[in-house]
Amino acid sequence: MNNLRLYLLRRLALLLFVTAAVLTILFVMFKLLPGNPLSVFIDSNFSEEMIRRQKQLWGLDDPLWLQYVRYMWNMLTFNFGTSFFQMTPVRDIVVEKLLHTGAMIVPAVVLSVVLGTLLGSWLGWRRGSRQEGAVVIGLLALRSVPSFFVGIIVLMVFSYNLGWFPPGGMVSIGGHGDSFLGTILSLDFLYHLVLPCLVLMTREITSPALLLRSTMLEVKGSDFLDILRAKGLPERRIVMHATRNALLPLVTDVAVMMGFLFQGQVLLEIIFAWPGVGRELVTALNDLDYPVAQACFFVMALIILMFNFVADVLYAFIDPRVALS
Amino acid sequence: MTPAHTVAERGGTGRRGVLGTIGHTLRVIMRYPTGAFGLFLLALVVIVALIGPLISPYGPFDVVQTAQGRIARLVPPSSVALLGTTNQGNDVLSQLLYGTRVALMVGVISAIGSVVLGTLIGLVSGYFGGKVDEAIMRFTDVAFGIPFLPFALIVISVAGPSLPLVILLVTLFLWRTTSRVIRAQVLTLKTRPFVWAARAAGASEWRILFVHIAPNVLPLSFLYMAIGVQGGVMLEAALSFLGFGDPNVVSWGSMLNQSFRAGAMRSAWWWVIPPGVALSLFVISVFMVTRAYEELLNPRLRET
Amino acid sequence: MGVLELRDLCIEYSLGNGAALAVDKVSLAIGEGEYLGLVGESGCGKSTIAKAILGILPRNGRVVSGEILYRGRDIVGLSVAEMNRLRWQAIALIPQSAMNGFDPVYTVEQQIAEAIDAHVDWPVARKRERIDEMFALVGLERSRLTDYPHQFSGGMRQRAMIAMAMVLDPDVVVADEPTTGLDVIVQDQILHRIKQIHTSLKKTMLLITHDMAVVAENCDRIAVMYAGKLVEHGAHDVFERPFHPYTMGLCNAFPDLADVGRALVSIPMAPPPLDAMPPGCRFAERCPFATDLCRSEEPELSSVGEGHAAACHYIARAEEFRERARLYETWQAGAVAT
Ligand SMILES: Nc1ncnc2c1ncn2[C@@H]1O[C@H](COP(=O)(O)OP(=O)(O)OP(=O)(O)O)[C@@H](O)[C@H]1O
Ligand code: SF4
Ligand SMILES: [Mg+2]
Repeated sequence: MNNLRLYLLRRLALLLFVTAAVLTILFVMFKLLPGNPLSVFIDSNFSEEMIRRQKQLWGLDDPLWLQYVRYMWNMLTFNFGTSFFQMTPVRDIVVEKLLHTGAMIVPAVVLSVVLGTLLGSWLGWRRGSRQEGAVVIGLLALRSVPSFFVGIIVLMVFSYNLGWFPPGGMVSIGGHGDSFLGTILSLDFLYHLVLPCLVLMTREITSPALLLRSTMLEVKGSDFLDILRAKGLPERRIVMHATRNALLPLVTDVAVMMGFLFQGQVLLEIIFAWPGVGRELVTALNDLDYPVAQACFFVMALIILMFNFVADVLYAFIDPRVALS
Repeated sequence: MTPAHTVAERGGTGRRGVLGTIGHTLRVIMRYPTGAFGLFLLALVVIVALIGPLISPYGPFDVVQTAQGRIARLVPPSSVALLGTTNQGNDVLSQLLYGTRVALMVGVISAIGSVVLGTLIGLVSGYFGGKVDEAIMRFTDVAFGIPFLPFALIVISVAGPSLPLVILLVTLFLWRTTSRVIRAQVLTLKTRPFVWAARAAGASEWRILFVHIAPNVLPLSFLYMAIGVQGGVMLEAALSFLGFGDPNVVSWGSMLNQSFRAGAMRSAWWWVIPPGVALSLFVISVFMVTRAYEELLNPRLRET
Repeated sequence: MGVLELRDLCIEYSLGNGAALAVDKVSLAIGEGEYLGLVGESGCGKSTIAKAILGILPRNGRVVSGEILYRGRDIVGLSVAEMNRLRWQAIALIPQSAMNGFDPVYTVEQQIAEAIDAHVDWPVARKRERIDEMFALVGLERSRLTDYPHQFSGGMRQRAMIAMAMVLDPDVVVADEPTTGLDVIVQDQILHRIKQIHTSLKKTMLLITHDMAVVAENCDRIAVMYAGKLVEHGAHDVFERPFHPYTMGLCNAFPDLADVGRALVSIPMAPPPLDAMPPGCRFAERCPFATDLCRSEEPELSSVGEGHAAACHYIARAEEFRERARLYETWQAGAVAT
């Protein structure tokens, strides 16, 4: 138990350290790189008031260390300032966009994991057969096709040509529900979700499928299953032991996948005009709306780190060997 | 992921010579149907990258004229433009051929850069251990904490888009995995008897590292180099597709970007499909070769 | 009649391209309270027999003919439910692979309790008490009960395995190389522990090992296997007056049994592969005394003394063989001599 606590503390410390380091890099980047965002901003045609406010927010006249400390504090308290263009607190924008991104990723990941697990067990079962070989090669190839091209093709075929699905967006124009929940529970939303979700799945299903296939093989060959049989345990208990062992690596895989998707879906959000955090980042950068860009980057990084952390912690709980090594 | 035999156990690579080793490797890869197919495609890409500008009917930004002397905008594939034209009247085939060179260049340079970097870092970290290792590992953790695409987008938008910057960014993204894998490999290698033997014979630490250990991780480095080519090409395409590539260079990604923005998905399939297919084929061919090479490194992989 | 008896047992593994007979017509009997040692080189089919007894042969393994009698009842082909009733209560196993014999994600206590729960309905307190008792029996501290398997050393894991095997006070215990992978001192301790259990609880036991010395030291009777066949069995007589050249070779290969001050002799070469069994005596290729007869005709087990049988064409020349088998040169010359 002590070991576990120590392990968790170490992981937490690492999380904080890496977060601070990523923030610092972001700070240095904006400070050192040519074309300081503020100079871009100040040169452009915004009102005196906004310039003053931004200058104040950035504290450009303060000594560097003070700017750094203030910046860190603002970021860590999710105080991202105000958008140059939308005149709303950046935090609100980012939260909304994150929810939208989640609304695309979560269903895709859940479906991928469920279907991928089933497919993986089937592959583990049929190991060595011709079908298995073909499916594995197919999955591996699928993993190396750029998914944004798959997105483009899918859009061309199912939306522009066949007209089965809308060509993008999260809901029909004017179709916004009163709340986020109201929106994502609407049929209209599901209709818009189908294509991007399918495209995400073509890629994300490969990982759990291949993983489960190999862990299944490994677990099926382990000696402890023989002993469980020798003990005279009923079949379902033995299956329970096997499954729990086979699912271990999947937990990490899913958490890491979730985290990674929060940054990797930028391309799909552009292609499907999905109003998520990745698309917001690109828009903000094109508009030179740096507070928004910075915040988007930070939350994406934070989410990846959080999911990795969650993966480590979960894993330590379900696999007692981890905390001790 | 462990090579089946170390160089020391095989009696050294020296016996075969570098060219011999490469030849042998290629022959083994050819033994797998997918490997042979991948090599064939890859050779095609390399040839096109080398002679593309020579055989391409137009320059990448040349405007194709119709017989009537007007700009040939969005002309479907025809004898004038084999793969049709863009909305600016550029020849799609020519852009595709020029883009091959960009793809290969980004892929190869960033793969080499990242593997050199990653291998050196992994070697030092794994071999010296202790504080050095600790520091490097934390540094790697930080590098893994940075979401690549958003990071690259910000850097490019602040510093201005250019091909060298894209290559640099891709390199910075790719080294991380290599260094982790190499480090793990070094950790197991350094406990092998041949390392003790070298130390007993009075070899210096650096000599042991670079003369005795490094050759044994090289096959793994090559594997990651190949995987890196795949990643590099893909990332360049992604950045260009988002409009953050070098505006003075035509790449497959930038072609997709232009066509996507012009709404060619609706009307001009010939502008969308070729760059996407070229990209996919290139990536898949590299993948097939790496897969065969991986099996060569570790026959056990077939089992899992 | 024995508690556990094998009759003409044949076990086959199906392979991609045919089948391999891993155990060929083996007959053995273990009497009440008897401690039988089964020896043979790696791959001769010892574990296969152990697995068949517990009904845990791998998917591709199958008893093709013969019987396994437990207290007179053939247990080959019992339904899973019927077999489960016998497992662990009637016959328990101390496996060869204690290192990986526990599920890594449950504590040792949970796994021992699981074995109890599968067969009897004991209140928690009784279970605890019994498990404590077992830990004491094998010399493990009860504080370690809540540890996970990977927190145990190899020796401790093996002890825990023994504790788990004994927890339902089984009628018969099969120990399959219970000390592989352990260092010599721990091996001795564990074997000593098992021997103690045998003597104090009067357990009927089968010890599988490739170490003649271990059998000589611990067991009442011995059975020697070679390439899937039983080649010699008997009581202590087997060590003193072996009749099969293979047994002679094995005795020579271990220090405790060989004469002091003489170089140890080991049998050169390896047993024939399962799918290429020679037509005659399976040991002929390595036997220094092999003749043409040996190479063409398979010897049958025949009695050479009270409760002592060997399968060699030349049991009559055993005295002479024994003399020659002591010499290093005999084994080096291989099958060319005679
Ligand atoms: N699942 C299997 N499929 C095919 N052949 C097998 C299988 N399991 C065992 N064998 C073969 O059957 C023979 C007997 O194996 P077994 O495990 O019984 O040997 P053993 O005497 O216990 O050896 P060891 O001392 O190494 O444990 C060996 O030749 C082995 O290769
Ligand atoms: S039968 Fe022949 S070959 Fe077999 S053990 Fe006896 S003497 Fe040796
Ligand atoms: Mg065995």
